[in-house]
Amino acid sequence: MASKEFNPFEMAQAQFDKVADLLNLDSATRELLRNPLREYAFSIPVKMDDGTTKVFRGFRVQHNDARGPAKGGIRFHPHETADTVRALAMWMTWKCAVVNIPLGGGKGGVICDPHHLSAKEQEQICRGWVRQMAKNVGPLNDVPAPDVMTNAQHMLWMLDEFETIHGGKYPGFITGKPVGMGGSLGRTEATGYGVVYTIREALKDMNINPENTTASVQGFGNVSQYAIELYTQLGGKVIAVSSWDQQDQCSYTFKRNDGVDLEQLRGITDKFGGIDKNKAKELGYEVLDGEAWIEQEVDILIPAALENQVRADNAVKISGKVKIIAEGANGPTTPEADKIIQEKGIFLIPDFLANAGGVTCSYFEQVQCNMNYYWEKDEVLSKLDTKMTSAFRAVSDLAKKKNLYMRDAAYVISINRVAQACKDRGWV
Amino acid sequence: MSDKFNPIDHLVLELHERAKELNCLYKIEDSLNRSDITLKEAFHTIMDTLPNGFQYPNVCKARLVYGEIVYQTENFKETPWVIRSDISVQDKIVGNISVYYQQEMPQSHYGPFTKAEKKLLDTIADRLGHFILHQKLKVVFQELSNVREQMEGSQKGEWRIVLNMVRKTDPNLFMSLLRKMLHLLCWKGVEEAEMLMRQNALSRQGNLDDQNYDDNKPLKVKKIANYDHYVETILNLAKENLTDDVILTKIQKWIQEDKSSSLIKVVDNSDTSLTEIADAIRKFYHLATEKFELEPSTAKGLRVSLLRRFFTDQLEYISVAKEYVKLTDFRFLIDKMIFPSGSHGKLGGKSAGIFLAAHILNKESDKIDLIKDIKTPKTWYITSDGVISFIQYNNLEEVLEQKYKELDEVRIEYPHLVQLFKNSEFPPDIVKGLSIALDDLGEKPIIVRSSSLLEDQIGAVFSGKYKSLFLANQGSKQQRLYALMDAIAEVYASTFSPDPIEYRAEKGLLDFHEEMGIMIQEVVGTKVGKYYFPIFAGVAFSNNEFRWSPRIKREDGLVRIVPGLGTRAVDRLSDDFPILAAPGQPNLRVNVTPDELRRYSPQRMDVINLETNEFESISVSKLIEEYGASFPMFNEVFSIIENNMVRQPGLLDVDDPSKEFVVSFEGLISKTNFLKKIHAVTKVLQEKIKSPVDIEFAHDGKDYYLLQCRPQSNLADISPDNIPKDIPQELILFNAKKFISNGKVPDITHIVYVDPSKYSEIPDRETMLEVGRAISKLNKVLPKRKFILMGPGRWGSRGDIKLGVSVTYSDINNTSMLIEIAKKKGNYVPDLSFGTHFFQDLVEANIRYLPLYPDDDGIIFNETFFNDSENIFGELVPEFEELKNVIKVIDVPFVKDGMILKVYVNAEIESAVAIFTYPSNEAVKEIETKTSNEDYHIHDHWRWRMKMAEKIANEIDFKKFGIKAIYLTGSTNNATATAQSDIDLIIHTEKNCNIENLKLWFEGWSLALSEMNYLRTGIKTNGLIDLHFVNDNDITNDNGIAIKINTQNESAKLLKLKN
Repeated sequence: MASKEFNPFEMAQAQFDKVADLLNLDSATRELLRNPLREYAFSIPVKMDDGTTKVFRGFRVQHNDARGPAKGGIRFHPHETADTVRALAMWMTWKCAVVNIPLGGGKGGVICDPHHLSAKEQEQICRGWVRQMAKNVGPLNDVPAPDVMTNAQHMLWMLDEFETIHGGKYPGFITGKPVGMGGSLGRTEATGYGVVYTIREALKDMNINPENTTASVQGFGNVSQYAIELYTQLGGKVIAVSSWDQQDQCSYTFKRNDGVDLEQLRGITDKFGGIDKNKAKELGYEVLDGEAWIEQEVDILIPAALENQVRADNAVKISGKVKIIAEGANGPTTPEADKIIQEKGIFLIPDFLANAGGVTCSYFEQVQCNMNYYWEKDEVLSKLDTKMTSAFRAVSDLAKKKNLYMRDAAYVISINRVAQACKDRGWV
Repeated sequence: MSDKFNPIDHLVLELHERAKELNCLYKIEDSLNRSDITLKEAFHTIMDTLPNGFQYPNVCKARLVYGEIVYQTENFKETPWVIRSDISVQDKIVGNISVYYQQEMPQSHYGPFTKAEKKLLDTIADRLGHFILHQKLKVVFQELSNVREQMEGSQKGEWRIVLNMVRKTDPNLFMSLLRKMLHLLCWKGVEEAEMLMRQNALSRQGNLDDQNYDDNKPLKVKKIANYDHYVETILNLAKENLTDDVILTKIQKWIQEDKSSSLIKVVDNSDTSLTEIADAIRKFYHLATEKFELEPSTAKGLRVSLLRRFFTDQLEYISVAKEYVKLTDFRFLIDKMIFPSGSHGKLGGKSAGIFLAAHILNKESDKIDLIKDIKTPKTWYITSDGVISFIQYNNLEEVLEQKYKELDEVRIEYPHLVQLFKNSEFPPDIVKGLSIALDDLGEKPIIVRSSSLLEDQIGAVFSGKYKSLFLANQGSKQQRLYALMDAIAEVYASTFSPDPIEYRAEKGLLDFHEEMGIMIQEVVGTKVGKYYFPIFAGVAFSNNEFRWSPRIKREDGLVRIVPGLGTRAVDRLSDDFPILAAPGQPNLRVNVTPDELRRYSPQRMDVINLETNEFESISVSKLIEEYGASFPMFNEVFSIIENNMVRQPGLLDVDDPSKEFVVSFEGLISKTNFLKKIHAVTKVLQEKIKSPVDIEFAHDGKDYYLLQCRPQSNLADISPDNIPKDIPQELILFNAKKFISNGKVPDITHIVYVDPSKYSEIPDRETMLEVGRAISKLNKVLPKRKFILMGPGRWGSRGDIKLGVSVTYSDINNTSMLIEIAKKKGNYVPDLSFGTHFFQDLVEANIRYLPLYPDDDGIIFNETFFNDSENIFGELVPEFEELKNVIKVIDVPFVKDGMILKVYVNAEIESAVAIFTYPSNEAVKEIETKTSNEDYHIHDHWRWRMKMAEKIANEIDFKKFGIKAIYLTGSTNNATATAQSDIDLIIHTEKNCNIENLKLWFEGWSLALSEMNYLRTGIKTNGLIDLHFVNDNDITNDNGIAIKINTQNESAKLLKLKN
């Protein structure tokens, strides 16, 4: 029996349907939100370095912009499918709505593999993309951002082309730009700090003083490091952190009962986030198995590495002491593990709420660009705090009120917000 | 009593004598070296001085004969007590010098004269010969230039004056000039000259065979009466037919040619030693008071001879090199050569490669600007027989037999041998040479590279088999010399290390007389702090076999670049990466995102630490932290990753410690003509050498240096397979669509599969190493070239063995194909085994390499087959039983009802597929009739038969039966034998072979084996041995089954040869 091929868009629709049932949405709203509002597909002819011309396929999906300009990345991917992009655009709509920022959801890209393209050719693709889409994107209707295989360089090429076409400066057209070129300060910290803002609020609800808590973190990348930084500032104690060892091709958990010293660990970490296990031992860390982070007797678990890290097999090992799991990574928990966590009664802060600090900061970048006034880092972070806190409040209040699992509550609140906007505009 | 004193007396006497001789020699030498001394004065000095050098000067008289002149000491009288030495000039005896005792003296070696005295006389005669030649030439040239000055007034016939002078001073030369003049006249069509020539020939001919010669043709010119007349006739003819100008230039040229003749004689004579050649070359240039050019043909002949003596007999090499190497190049070369006295050695393959490449680039740089400023590092050479002289000097001759020992033995003894070599002394002449070399090289770091004779054999690349060692070359002269000698001894020892011996055995090169030349090369680089290293270095290939994009063509080439010493670009590293670029596609990068660049940029670099005198690998980022902007060419080497963007460093970035620097060579690639230059170099070399090449290069911050050049090992006859279409899915084991290179893969009977997930689950390093050892064992027991090795990641991974099974080349050298299974891990794609010593081994051994990407779209990878098929690993190598879950050995004909595995590859369409199919070979067809007895495995049948065949071959008396060799063929050799299969033997007989007797002998075995087979399997056969007889004639003509012996795909295996 041949199993049906995995279709991400159908899965996203099914997830939406589940929540739509909960919300008891009418069929017109369902129909509107089940599918993208607009889809663009177009050709980008590029003069290649060798003198030939090659035509690339570009596209943009605007899933919904009832709450504000669509927002979402541009991917360069050789095996891109329309359904993947639709699913990702829909996900962006919910993600923006859950933190209550006035943006919709979009996604786009070009079918190409940058490994086969020179920098000049990539620049031509970026500019070609903008030439085709110049009328339909912009700070007021659709704001792209870097994604798979694209980076700040591509964004600047696109911005430059957009500004050339429109004859003005529109730094708010695109996000993910370098600081000084319209980028926002605080971006590096945003996601990690965002995770901890939500944790702080969750603890508040539980009447627990952060100073009396301990945490275990998976991963030692950007998100994890800043999460540890802020959590420690709040008085909490991270006693275990795991990291990937490039040399041994496996991960290890580094444990110290009186708390890890972030600066100390950073000092013995390579640029891929790998902690030197020998030096760690010298500094008094226990070096344990890579999976050990999840078994620790702590109050808070922060999976901030890759997806599918909390599974049925290791979720059962989670200590009875654990009260909160904050998903710093995207999709770290498998559905089976979700059930176990629910049964254990652990409070879960779902990924698209917990790690929404990133997209919030992108929104701030756009806001600053639009008014051509850039905030200091403190200001960015304090505004982030406000946004994340109120987003968390709304979700957790709803979860309590309706007795929903946090993940479901987050979906309910965001889909409800989008549906409401569509209704208010009189679309449905 | 007197006995006791005698030895001492004798010694004193001897010393006294020796002092006298030396005194004499010095005096003579001293006077001959005076520039103003005339021939006559010189002769007088010798006459006066000579007797004092002899044991009994009072009764000693000397006589010197030179042409018609005789000099002798006063009161000279001839006696029977004499020794004499001839004086020769340009190989012609022009006189002699003798010493007489006027009365009888005690008997010694030569009558009353001692050995040393005879030698003294020889030396003086030799020295005198040189002196006379020098004097003569001085005269000739002096007069010649006088004439030439007069020629300014262009007076006619002045050439006659020149000739007259020559006639007086050097009659031989004069005759030669005359002969040449005559030839010239004939060539110009002067009839009389032809007549003269005929007559000349005639008279000579007549002498040889008077009666038979009969020529009726009348002669136009009168018969030449005498020599003078002959001369005069020719000169007159010249005057009539040629202009003065022509005659003068010709004469001048001929005189010069004559001078080169002695050099030609020395070089062409294969008995002359390098010392003599070196002397001849030096003399040749020394004598040439003016710069002149040789006749092109003469020069070319000399070049070819010198190339042959210094480098190689290979015609391919010589035919190219002779066009690019000038005679003067050899003159500079000999000054940098160190060799034992009487050496007949060569410089070896590596030296030959770089010598030729450097000269090609030099010459072609007139046409191509890009290759103009490419340098080669200062190099000294030790000739290949230096190692032999080293061995002989230390009485280590037995090591020469090392190569014939069992490999295990070689392996065990090797560390001991290295120590033995390191503790041995170098012969004094080598030490002296090294000392001079060190003075010349100064205190710059040096590298001692092997340059063996085998290295230039086509089809055998000895890269990395022999050692290359870096030396910091710091400290006192003595320390530096010891370190250098230590390094050379180690490189010498590596000739006898197991890996090259095994490689040679496999290539059939064991009997080749391997000698090891040495290159002592200055390390290209610059000093940064306490470190010394090239700013960047690497290897470049004409043909790109690692194409990361379909836009890159093979001929776009490939460069592997690293900061620091090039070792990290040449070697295969598991934990670090070189930067790759395709010179023909300079804009395409392997790594395009900041993350990729971060991950795959070189993290470490090899340097020489001048403080510790060590070769070290250091962290690039640490080096930048320490030295920052003082890192030369910083902007060319590094990029900055900032704000999720890669950019080039700006003015303010360099010393900013907060910046993230990565080695990208972006500036070098995009802002300089580096790639164009490399491309031009490889293209020129490929075109001239007529083979794709691989080169090593380095840059010291100012200039590019070429370090090595050799043909890129490649197979000429690789044609793409026709990939069968519409194959049923169940018959496909795997397919591949990336990085396919052409090459035939023989039929596969066994698959060795290292399960990637099981391998990654191995908990400890020791067990992982054990997997490598098990593979090594399998490599020895499985039929050669009939099995494939499949495993995760990188075979031969040394550092991080989690990424792939740790094996060396000798552990896998019998496989027909090496397959790396690259399971995707996020964005991580395993480094392919390219540009590394290992890969080239595979290419050379015709072992095909294929990477598999099971996760890619449209890729079939039949994991079920590997999981479900019976695993015979445990039976084959019971000592590794505990690994049977990790390593699977599948007997394909057994599990697939007689089918074998066939791998088709086609690089043109980037496609490869492995399918199960029936073998086309008839010998294997018998397997299709399946035996009813299933209790025994097929692999038991062939292994048992193989063993028996080997036993028989060992038992038989080759001499008695008149046999030259025994070969195994058919199903036993193909590993497809069933319970009823015969053992097919091919017997190579000699003329005197008694075939009937031989048949009888085999009959016994055949029946016995048949009975044994019955007991084993229950299958009855009528005899088990099938004999095929071939003789020399069959083999030469490939008659019948004899063709199997000659074909390269080893359809017959040699069991035993007559000793």
